Amino acid sequence: MQHAVKHGPSFSTLTVQLAAGETITAESDAMITRTADVSIEPRLNASRSGGVWGTIKALFIALIRKIFGGETMFVNDFTASQAAEIRLAPVMSGHIVHRRLENERILLQPGSYLASGAGLSMRLQWAGLRGLLSKEGIVFVEISGTGDLFMTAYGGIQPIEVDGSFVVDNGHIVAFETGLDFKITTPGGGMLGFFGSGEGLVCNFTGKGTVWIQSRNTGALVDWITRLLP
Amino acid sequence: MNIDVLYRPAHSMARVELSPGEAIEAEAGAMMGTTTNVEMTTSVGGIKKGLKRLFGGETLFRNTFRAVGSSGEVLLAPSLCGDMTVLDVSSGGWFLQSGAYVASSDTVDLNTKVGGFKSFFAGPGFFILNATGQGSVLVGAFGALEEVKVDGELIIDTGHIVAWKADGKLEYKVEKAARTWWKSLLSGEVLACRFTGQGSVWIQTRNPSSYGRKVGLMLPPKKG
Repeated sequence: MQHAVKHGPSFSTLTVQLAAGETITAESDAMITRTADVSIEPRLNASRSGGVWGTIKALFIALIRKIFGGETMFVNDFTASQAAEIRLAPVMSGHIVHRRLENERILLQPGSYLASGAGLSMRLQWAGLRGLLSKEGIVFVEISGTGDLFMTAYGGIQPIEVDGSFVVDNGHIVAFETGLDFKITTPGGGMLGFFGSGEGLVCNFTGKGTVWIQSRNTGALVDWITRLLP
Repeated sequence: MNIDVLYRPAHSMARVELSPGEAIEAEAGAMMGTTTNVEMTTSVGGIKKGLKRLFGGETLFRNTFRAVGSSGEVLLAPSLCGDMTVLDVSSGGWFLQSGAYVASSDTVDLNTKVGGFKSFFAGPGFFILNATGQGSVLVGAFGALEEVKVDGELIIDTGHIVAWKADGKLEYKVEKAARTWWKSLLSGEVLACRFTGQGSVWIQTRNPSSYGRKVGLMLPPKKG
């Protein structure tokens, strides 16, 4: 699967060359252009092999995500009948990064998912009870398997190689490798720190692995616009 | 007339140099500044045309800027973050998605095409303007602009189309994005435009209505 990211970091697009029979899965409404040999098939944002119970669970989680995160419940499978090209873009202004997974797992903040190759499967994972306090989301999207993953963000994307520990504001997390343990906590400073610092909740990562963070925060944008509304 | 686009791609601005007597028409609100010898007149350009424009998601009025006595300069900018480009109309003309229109030489003829019921559902941005005659059209995008060469067939999301060549070598058809209406709705793409033939299509890398929906859904409900 050959690919190229253009117009980054603000207005990035992803162009993918598909071989005959190849499939790429993408977030709903991400397609800009496709050649005529690409078919589009929407499906519920859930693992393909989850069974009936898995589908019901996925539907339930997707509904909650829809309510809390403004996310769509469906993804699209684009399959090429012959060599074809497809162009994708995220909704927000921001960059796109590629990560090849070799029988690995990565956790994504909902909204960071743009597209993935056929060898990858997607599952929703609860971020734990403390995640309920966080306005940025209460679930992570788990991507696992072997294949190409394309992540997006609001703003630029900075990879951080953690070896030990690192603290990230919840609203700035794009994704992280599962070699890292995480704990959602307050940024310190007690109750005043939680309500007054403007940092909300933070995620404390420990272990060894990569965290990708975004240079802007959708929650902060929404708060700012909300204050200006009549 | 000479048009330079500066501060690309995010915050593009156009500097239009007018010879004495020359004029440029621009969408209401696009003007940032002019030299003092530039006269502005506001017109609807005929009630029918004006209403069609309003219906098509544009402004009812359009302003004409004319350099009087000596050469003049007009600075123009669109309202969203994004790139602009200048299209030459003389070789067959262009079709524009009406939201992309920023300005045009007064020697360019603009006609709104109401493209049937499908384009009605494609959102207010997808009314089509046909620019013909002589001169230039300045188009603006949400995001970056890219010229895509069609040779054969290409399907483009209606929210990402800016302009395409109107010389008759490129056919377009608004259609459902997937095989069935149900799937098109579920896919989130809903409508797409199928281009057949040879020619250029300019696309914008972000979709203004998708962006508006995404941010809008996160905002608190309007009071009252």
